[in-house]
Amino acid sequence: MSDLAIDIRNVVKRYDHHVAVRDLSLQIPRGSVYGLLGPNGAGKTTTIRMILDIILPDAGSISIFGRPNTEPGILNAVGYLPEERGLYKKMQVRRVLLFLAELKGIRPADASKRIDEWLERFSLVGERNWGDARVDELSRGMQQKVQFISTLLHDPDLVILDEPFSGLDPINAQALKDAVLELKQRGKTVIFSTHVMDNAEKMCDSVCIIARGEKVLDGGVAAVKKSAGARNVALSLAGGAHNGVSQLLRDPSFVRRCDDNNNYFELELYPNADAQLFLRKLIEAGANIERFELVQPSLHQIFLQRVGASGVETGMSGHG
Amino acid sequence: MDNKIWIVAKREYLERVRSRTFLAFTLLIPVFIAGVTMFPLYIAAKSGASTAIRHITILDATGTDLGDRVAKALMTDSTIARIPNDSVTPRVVKTTAAGLPASEQAAENEVKLPNHITGYLVLTDSTLDGKSARYSGRNASTIGDMDKLRSLVRQEVMVSRLEREGVRKDIVNDLATSNFRLTSQRLSESGRGGSGQAGIFAGISVGLLLFMSIVFHGQNVLRGVLEEKSTRVAEVVISSIKPESLLAGKVLGVGGVGLTQQAAWFAISAYLMNFLGPIILKAATKGTVVATTATSGTSAANAALGASFGGMALSIVAVSLLFFVIGFVFYASLYAAAGSMVNSEQEAQQAAMPVMLLLMSTWLMVNPVLINPNSKLALVLTWLPWSSPIMVPLRMGLTTVSPVVIAGSALVAVIGCIASIWLSARIYRVGMLMYGKKPSFAEVAKWIRYA
Repeated sequence: MSDLAIDIRNVVKRYDHHVAVRDLSLQIPRGSVYGLLGPNGAGKTTTIRMILDIILPDAGSISIFGRPNTEPGILNAVGYLPEERGLYKKMQVRRVLLFLAELKGIRPADASKRIDEWLERFSLVGERNWGDARVDELSRGMQQKVQFISTLLHDPDLVILDEPFSGLDPINAQALKDAVLELKQRGKTVIFSTHVMDNAEKMCDSVCIIARGEKVLDGGVAAVKKSAGARNVALSLAGGAHNGVSQLLRDPSFVRRCDDNNNYFELELYPNADAQLFLRKLIEAGANIERFELVQPSLHQIFLQRVGASGVETGMSGHG
Repeated sequence: MDNKIWIVAKREYLERVRSRTFLAFTLLIPVFIAGVTMFPLYIAAKSGASTAIRHITILDATGTDLGDRVAKALMTDSTIARIPNDSVTPRVVKTTAAGLPASEQAAENEVKLPNHITGYLVLTDSTLDGKSARYSGRNASTIGDMDKLRSLVRQEVMVSRLEREGVRKDIVNDLATSNFRLTSQRLSESGRGGSGQAGIFAGISVGLLLFMSIVFHGQNVLRGVLEEKSTRVAEVVISSIKPESLLAGKVLGVGGVGLTQQAAWFAISAYLMNFLGPIILKAATKGTVVATTATSGTSAANAALGASFGGMALSIVAVSLLFFVIGFVFYASLYAAAGSMVNSEQEAQQAAMPVMLLLMSTWLMVNPVLINPNSKLALVLTWLPWSSPIMVPLRMGLTTVSPVVIAGSALVAVIGCIASIWLSARIYRVGMLMYGKKPSFAEVAKWIRYA
């Protein structure tokens, strides 16, 4: 059996006036947590849908666990949580889950047993057994749990989550992170797409950044960060940057890019700039420094650097 | 066959059959049909002569036995409802033209007393001439009573005059009570068919039934597709099953619901008409109905039912079923494609317009085909895949359609079906994941090429 969970080779998807995915090749190792990063409209969802054989590529090939993704039954090993979530509103929770599990090739009797376990695990049985309720009687949070159960009910070896954190409150987001790690421990492969770099940096073994339908870079998170160099400064200022300091942070002889968060700054220095001299200048300018540290750039910084501000629309690559 | 098609069909079927709407429609429609069929019978029974016309006084100023004859006829006529243990009989008062005003006054006073006679009938020389008689009474505006009275008097006048002319009494009686009927039978090249009336009735009912169920359940498919799209459940489902299979399962499941419903409708309607018919009629006449009336009521109900279904040959039933399945698949897959293109009910009605127009154009041709089932137009419509599902069973009820034509037209319709499924599946595949504005037809044409 192949060591690769997913092998995408030279995949192209064209629409009428634009190319959604351009000659994309990706190798996703078995058993890893893999982040597919990129701004909205970069082609993440299109790529995921092509993996799932929902839409067909114009060129190229995709295999899952070494077999073509068009092979009958191969998608039964995949669990998918789409970005746009929804269930049959008028159906009983248990029946929805049973239906989706049956579509993945699980026998009804097995599925029924697993549904009980999962409902228990997500505390959907208690004073009331929510399994017997209609989907539209559930709160939004409960519906998300049910949706997540439907993704994992057939115990897939490959789990694909499209923007899983969007719309989750902090508690559910934490629960999702725990679930992803547990899947990894059980040897499953998890792919998720996100534009929230912090999550990706904390959770992923490997990442791929795509923008405008093209791969910008990919590889292990550590390697990606290392290759980007250690020319970044993490700077915390008590009370923020006043006039002189603020000017210095934009000094083109030192600073190539400044990510200004009011009290916290992530600065990318020019390769030949002297970090010690820069620190002295800051003190001379009267900066109240709480932290000055040479760091590896965050994924967020790498993302901004490689994709460029033009590839990111406002609000699409927040720190959230 | 793909096992997943079956899973989808099962879900569609069970979820729909379990719903309260299905139960309501399944139970209420036959009640409605039975009601519509029974109501005229109820009215007819109610408007038949009531026992009240026996409680009258007959003022006979003819100088003959006409008054007695009418009284006797009133007592023996079996179509007049009868109250058990009712001993009241018409009273005959012999009088003269001169004494008539006084007798009338007396009778009128009697009518005005409570619980006495209903009215009085005046027979004069004019009556003997076959011209007129007079009636005054509380039930003078009851159409059934007056009709019965008029026909009885007329009959007795005729009988007595014939007897006076020397015609034998039994012949007179026979003529007077004969119940003349015209029955018609259809003749065709292949021999005798069912009754002509029943043929037309069967043709129309089959056509109407097919048309109605295709529209009704086609819309259901559309709504189902729209629901999957607007609740966004579609993407999860399509990640497990090919869109074509999802489409096929949906059409099968909803089609199964349609067949179930029609079977239930037929069974319940038949039950209501056969078993409840006499009971309803009994209630209508507020008393014991004379046996013959009850029988005629039941047979009328059976005739109504028989005209729509019983008059049909088994072959028409089989062909209708076959063409229902073909026609339903043809239209339902187009409805599914329409549903996948849009995001709301309002838009859906617009998107379904072309499908509706195709159906309506067929429906509008039913009348011309009824008038002349062998016209050029009828022949053309037999071969077009979108009209044949309605036209073939319709024409079979009206005329002779050769088995070769039926088989050929079914084949063409199946090919049409495959084309419609192919087209719809391509639109569906792209449309299911397209949100936002309603696509133009140019865009839909592009989807067909993408997929």
